[in-house]
Amino acid sequence: MGEITEFLTLMIPAMVPFLLAAQGTVLSGRAGVFNVSQEGLMVLGAAVGFLVSFKAGSNTVGMAAAFAIAGVFGLVLAYMTTQLRLDQFVVGLALYFAALGAAGLLYREVIGITMEPPLIPTLEDKPIPLLSDIPFLGEVLFDHDLVVYLAFAISVAIWWFMYKTRSGLAFRSIGENPKAADSLGINVTWARTWSTVVGSGLVGMAGAYLPMVYTGLYTEGMVAGRGWLVIALAFLGGWRPHLVIAGAAFFAGMEVLALRAQVAGIGIPHQFVLMLPYVATLLVMVFAFRWARQPSFLGRNYDRESRLVG
Amino acid sequence: MSETLTAPPATPAETPGKRPSRVAEALWLVVPYVVSVVLAFVVGGLIIAAIGRDPIAAFESVLTTSFNTRFGTIETLHKWVPVLLCAYAFAIPLATGKFNIGAEGQLLVGATGGVALGILWSDLPMVVLLPCVLVAGALSGAVWAGIAAFLMTKFQVNEILSTVVLNFISFQLIDYVASHVWPDRGAGHPATTPVGEGALLPGIGQAPPMHTGVLLTVLLVIVIAVFMRRTSTGFEMRAVGANLRAAQVHGIRTSRLAGAGLVVGGAVAGLAGAIEVAGVHGKMLEGMQSNFLILGIIVGLMARGSMLALPFIAFGIAVLEVGAGSMQRTAQVPVEMVLIIEALILLFLLLSDIARAKIRRS
Repeated sequence: MGEITEFLTLMIPAMVPFLLAAQGTVLSGRAGVFNVSQEGLMVLGAAVGFLVSFKAGSNTVGMAAAFAIAGVFGLVLAYMTTQLRLDQFVVGLALYFAALGAAGLLYREVIGITMEPPLIPTLEDKPIPLLSDIPFLGEVLFDHDLVVYLAFAISVAIWWFMYKTRSGLAFRSIGENPKAADSLGINVTWARTWSTVVGSGLVGMAGAYLPMVYTGLYTEGMVAGRGWLVIALAFLGGWRPHLVIAGAAFFAGMEVLALRAQVAGIGIPHQFVLMLPYVATLLVMVFAFRWARQPSFLGRNYDRESRLVG
Repeated sequence: MSETLTAPPATPAETPGKRPSRVAEALWLVVPYVVSVVLAFVVGGLIIAAIGRDPIAAFESVLTTSFNTRFGTIETLHKWVPVLLCAYAFAIPLATGKFNIGAEGQLLVGATGGVALGILWSDLPMVVLLPCVLVAGALSGAVWAGIAAFLMTKFQVNEILSTVVLNFISFQLIDYVASHVWPDRGAGHPATTPVGEGALLPGIGQAPPMHTGVLLTVLLVIVIAVFMRRTSTGFEMRAVGANLRAAQVHGIRTSRLAGAGLVVGGAVAGLAGAIEVAGVHGKMLEGMQSNFLILGIIVGLMARGSMLALPFIAFGIAVLEVGAGSMQRTAQVPVEMVLIIEALILLFLLLSDIARAKIRRS
């Protein structure tokens, strides 16, 4: 029992980067904008989040800064794909490179080369009164830092917006058939723009969470491909926020499992254990692409004057 | 997928009989590159000035390091090889409309294949061993990309994701090979023991020599150009990239071709890995993939479907990359600045399509 509790308690915070970034990806994806710059935005979010927290002395400000800078990148993506109708993948990749470069540049400029890497305080656990007293569940679910609760709240909010509101229905229709949506008077460009800005911002926050949760350090490879796994997660969850939560649990579980197996030393070289999340992702994608749905206009630009639809 | 990606930019329909001159056509192709590069440097210069450094000094060392010394020139050529091969690894699958973001993994696995033979058969003479090492590299890279190709054709797994995920698996794989199979304990960094003498690419000239992988790459440039332009498979690949539906209607087996494109791309990246082992390092070490994946994608995207443009663009990028290090030393501008400039060139190049369409229409 103790073993399982501990595993789940570690898994919940590990879900946060996946949740925030994947929900951000799903948000813009349902409007038809397929962002592929997540890896870069997470690295940039981690760097900016860390640096601002370090300078301002507040993780909240750092988190907000990461959201803002990634949101600016999202705005560029949205403008170039909706207004200029440039290829979404190519613009996304270009932004990925620019974000990587900017992250490295900023860290070097602000910190420079130091003997001791700078530290920021890690996020404090804030148990929820009463709820955290429930045996087992309280410890697993309700005894974490605030960003954990926020990530779950954002997930639920996005699900609520998409599936329980009228404007959410209109929003989802854009990703399926923008021409039909447009003819009903839904503003395709505006919906794609705001969802890409907010979605990218969430990806940036996901990156910022990484230096704040475990070590308080920023290291260059700390995102370690999570930005790409997040895209896999969006596909796995069929671009639906509630299924993405389940998928995030799977990815986070794999990550925790690999780390714990490495620490425990189970006789297998640790390199093979560390491969586990990635191999599992490959296997899971086989199923994801067979059966999971995706918005039919995902990754394609909408031109009102074009006759081609579908 | 926009056509500008996979085919040379289409010119708007002209009235028959009134075709623009060849000079004008060439200008329409070259001018956007020049303008994009200049604009990217202007914006980059503003950023450098904003962080309080001297943009002129920075750009001077970025642009001249490759040509000032023999050492710089050789280093540039040595960098040109993996950048160009990774660019092919990206551009060949792109010709069929597929994105290969896995050149890094394919390069590393290719290096593993090459280093394995180079160590196991280290006693063999060069005439036998060197070709074996290079072929093993290409085959290993092809197999690694083949996993993604298999998942794509059999299970419709998105190739962007599978190739990226395979990169991360390859990092662990080479870490294992370099720390458990043939570890060099004295290296202080995960690395394998050196390959046999016969596995090394001979050098040309002295202090420092240029490895013959450069000549091999020149040969490969010609082979790939001929393959894409003069063989039916090459034609089919371009047809699939230009218009998937039209190609299907004409009986081209599109999914098989797309898979083949990925495998060939993987083979080229694998060869790059083997050349890095045989020409530069003489062994395999962690981190040898450098940032070749990103540079390859940048070059592949900048070429916009033209296989002929790749070697030239790759050379330009190699110049920037070699200059980046000396820029950091002489002008105290972080090396990442060059990556930002490269991303800006790419973005301006994309924007130039729109500007071009506007100018042509008026």
